[in-house]
Amino acid sequence: MQQREEKQLESSVESLISHVAHLKNALHSFIYKLENEYERLTWPSVLDNFALLSGQLNTINKLLRNEKTPSFRQQVIIPLLLSPDRDEDLAKLTEQRVPVFSHEIVPDHLRTKPDPEVEEQEKQLSAEAARIGPEVAQKQIQTLNKLCSNLLEKLNNPREDRDLEIAALRLTKQSFNSADTNALVAAVGFGKGLSKCRPPGTVAPGHPGQGPIMSGGPTLQQVTIGLGSGAPQQQGQPGKMPSNIKTNIKAASSMHPYNR
Amino acid sequence: MEAPPVSVMPVTGGTINMMEYLLQGSVLDQALESLLHRLRGLCDNMEPEIFADHELVYLLKGQQGNPFLLRARRSLSHPAAPWHLRYLGQPEVGDKSRHALVRNCVDVAASHSLPDFLNEMGFRMDHEFVAKGHIFRRGALKVVVSKLSRVLVPGNTENTEPLSLSSLVELSVLAPAGQDTVSEDMRSFAEQLKPLVHLEKIDPKRHM
Repeated sequence: MQQREEKQLESSVESLISHVAHLKNALHSFIYKLENEYERLTWPSVLDNFALLSGQLNTINKLLRNEKTPSFRQQVIIPLLLSPDRDEDLAKLTEQRVPVFSHEIVPDHLRTKPDPEVEEQEKQLSAEAARIGPEVAQKQIQTLNKLCSNLLEKLNNPREDRDLEIAALRLTKQSFNSADTNALVAAVGFGKGLSKCRPPGTVAPGHPGQGPIMSGGPTLQQVTIGLGSGAPQQQGQPGKMPSNIKTNIKAASSMHPYNR
Repeated sequence: MEAPPVSVMPVTGGTINMMEYLLQGSVLDQALESLLHRLRGLCDNMEPEIFADHELVYLLKGQQGNPFLLRARRSLSHPAAPWHLRYLGQPEVGDKSRHALVRNCVDVAASHSLPDFLNEMGFRMDHEFVAKGHIFRRGALKVVVSKLSRVLVPGNTENTEPLSLSSLVELSVLAPAGQDTVSEDMRSFAEQLKPLVHLEKIDPKRHM
């Protein structure tokens, strides 16, 4: 029974170590990038790095919460040997971070409670929390909740606000004029409103703008006539007629400019 | 693709495969700055190009049928740059499933003797105008915001008068025929410019 627990503990410590090593590598490479490649670093790749780190932290959290992982909190670590001399093995194991296992540093490294300063702050906070009465606390909670829900509402309905803004903008100021659009399109299309260079007498045949109408008119007519004669044969499938018309018009009008 | 290169494509009787997909709109002068600002944000990250062009529209009248139209453009800001000759086909606007006007389009760079050459061929200048404005790009999409001015004395581009209190806004893409998916992209881009500008497919025949 005890052996099995020991085995479990060992294996979970091992996997914890490997996960922490992964996390350390990711942090290491990210810091390296930030320090050495910040000129080329793009925002998306920074975000990718953050996502990687948060993913790894999540995995570690999951591992710790796993049922099969024994509770590390209940394990007791006792320093068996303290020495003021430099320990090369230890230094190597900790990447030169802890060269000596002495009386000075052991309390810091094997600490199971928060730092004294943090403990002090926590004490202050709980004293303050105890000082205000439950009614005041309730009031503060309500205020905070109200603020949060207001903020959430704002974040969730940006569309409505924006639409309102746009509507207000539209009321105060028109940014375009469709009559102007038509005038400008007609001007670039066939020179409407621009001074003509040719003598005014020759307008009728030479008007460039009449091209579309002249070509559009007859072809459309031809299509309808052609359709009229063709219709009796197609009575079986009336649904197909519209598509025929469409392709005919397209073919006729696009061919027209060239087949003279 | 087995289409021959543009330079050897016959202009008459052949099929020219590059199509221009076009949406048009306009913006009032007082809203021009906000539109330019928005375009700077939406389009590719580069300084927008500023242009000042003089466009001359030439006409060749045959014995019968429709006149043949060619557009010659030169840059006023870069007088040494080549001229730009453009043929535009009949616009197709009927297809409801397409969100943009589609027309044949042939673009050619030409030397400075282009007006003389066209005159020799029998073309006559029909009208001219000056367009000044900005060009933006987003991928294949091109947005041209231009102020049109009429030329008061023929040939004198110094003496012009604005055509209206608005600037013309054109969103266009050049694509091989049949690539109607580009019109989807254009529509979604046009959506982003609302309500500043409404870009639509406008049938020029309706406003003759």
